[in-house]
Amino acid sequence: MNRGATNAPSSPPRRRWRTGPLWLTLQLVLSGSLLLLFILPVVALFTYAPISHLFEAASISQVRAALWLTFFASGIAVLAAVVFGIPMGYLLARRAFRGRTVVESLVALPVVVPHLLVGLGLFFLVIPGTPLYRFTQSIGFPVYDTIWGVVLVMVFVSAPYTVLASELSFRAVDGRVLEAARSLGAGSATVFLTVTFPLALRGVVAGLILSWARAVSEIGGLLILAYAVYPGGPYNGPVTSTISVYIYNLFQNGNLADAAAVASLFLIIAFVLFLVVRLGERSGWLPWRRGELAP
Amino acid sequence: MSHWVVEGLETDLDHFHLGPVDLDLVPGSAIAVLGTSGAGKTTLLRTLAGFLRTRRGRILRDGVDISGWAPEDRALGYVPQGLGLLPHRTVAGNIRYPMELRNRPGAGRRTQELLDRFRLVPLAHRYPARLSAGEQQRVAIARALAADPGMIVWDEPWQALDVIARYELGLVLHELRETDRVPMVVVTHDPSLAFSIADSFVVLHEGRVRKQCDAATLLRAPSDPFAARFVGYENVYEPDALAGGAVGSLRAWLRERAGPEGIAFTCPGLPTGPAGTPLWEGTVRSARPGPPGLAVEVVSDELLVTLRVPPPLTPPLPTLGGRIRFGIDASTLQPLGSSYRPGVGT
Repeated sequence: MNRGATNAPSSPPRRRWRTGPLWLTLQLVLSGSLLLLFILPVVALFTYAPISHLFEAASISQVRAALWLTFFASGIAVLAAVVFGIPMGYLLARRAFRGRTVVESLVALPVVVPHLLVGLGLFFLVIPGTPLYRFTQSIGFPVYDTIWGVVLVMVFVSAPYTVLASELSFRAVDGRVLEAARSLGAGSATVFLTVTFPLALRGVVAGLILSWARAVSEIGGLLILAYAVYPGGPYNGPVTSTISVYIYNLFQNGNLADAAAVASLFLIIAFVLFLVVRLGERSGWLPWRRGELAP
Repeated sequence: MSHWVVEGLETDLDHFHLGPVDLDLVPGSAIAVLGTSGAGKTTLLRTLAGFLRTRRGRILRDGVDISGWAPEDRALGYVPQGLGLLPHRTVAGNIRYPMELRNRPGAGRRTQELLDRFRLVPLAHRYPARLSAGEQQRVAIARALAADPGMIVWDEPWQALDVIARYELGLVLHELRETDRVPMVVVTHDPSLAFSIADSFVVLHEGRVRKQCDAATLLRAPSDPFAARFVGYENVYEPDALAGGAVGSLRAWLRERAGPEGIAFTCPGLPTGPAGTPLWEGTVRSARPGPPGLAVEVVSDELLVTLRVPPPLTPPLPTLGGRIRFGIDASTLQPLGSSYRPGVGT
């Protein structure tokens, strides 16, 4: 017998409670409760009005117009995020300059302020008498109560997600890989197109999806700047509003069943769209999963 | 192949100053850049590759000063730490990349040749993340060659490799030197690699060239503590370690013989040195196989000294915690310091 062995227990220590199953149960209960909180309102929404009501809602031209307006305007907002947001994310990730922290805080501002403030600010910016009012009128992009107002609010509240997500993904690209590529003969623009951007693409797309989701669900700013949307620009339907404002209106007027029906309709469309993008991302027919690391 | 001359190269990175550095690389030659971390090794390579601005001096390729050129125009295969493989391209895609950039005709055939030569054919369609460290190294070499570089600049090519992969890559680098005749500048911490491929050495310390010499000179007169450890001296003491110690002690004895930067020696024998050398006594801290024979670590006068016990190993062998007497052959002592010249010191 050597002396060291006397310190080691001869069998595993007995415990009064086996904590493994308990721990797992706790996790399941806690996350399950949260999931329930997400699901139950949706169920309540879908069961409030009969299904037939949903089809009826879908046939109303104003509802259709509101749906079209919402998805079209949010699409333009995403496009704006691509054009302006991605370069800004790249700039913030790759260039050190004085005041970068200030710029980063400004970019995050729309995420943290109540969106009613956003609408109010934009409203004061473009009401008649301001230079911007005259300018937008003269170039044929009037903002107040038009589709351009909707787009403006949506860009304001949604673009930060793309900027922040692309900044993070551009920063995550290993600088040594970029230097190796340059040394192999690629100029800085070529390096961006063939290395930096493909490697950052997944994060950038995730940011765009968030931006789109944020744009579609916007209401606060719209209540002020584009409560009603009059025909003009690419929109030439009846006077309507975005779907969020439209539902809010129905609710305010006491049309609970209509509100539930239109909301359900919107949820279905949004969910299907979201699912398609997500599935595409998973299956790999969208290019950004290529070459991804294990597993 | 090109002939490269670097003259008085200096650069600044934040508050770090590198240089002046002078190098001369004929086709088929290789320089190993040594130094502790923070010595400026990577800074030197990135300046050569064009990622840091040259403050002063020139980089001449066949007589043409390229120090103002963009990295992509230098025709210089820079392999950064971590190799810089493109994670979103396969092995074949990585090797093809530099040829795609140049619209080089016959890129497919050349890619195939390189895959063949570096035994990468079965891995051609894998992504770098799925390769072993040794395989990734081979991809990096093949890709660097695909760009037809006038010089290859390697930053620490040996990181995280197992013994066999190291050996194989040693062979590959050798071949690059001998067959392709590509001049190389290699940063490494590995003495066996450095001595096997490099014909000359640059030791950097805090941005300055501490020593620049051929292999034989580095071995014969390492001149500073870093170089001494690098070439394999087991006992290297800087002046701080020798401070204290009463008259007649081991530390005092070594201090009398040390250069401004300390002293180095390898203790070849036990228990006695040549007649007339003082004998020291110490406590055995460890004894391990040090073929041939044993390597014994002894604490004596607050110094840790490694002794070599040659075969045949006759009992009694040193035991842990036991006392042992040893002598140091004064002729093996290597004083360290810039003022020292071989044959001049005492």
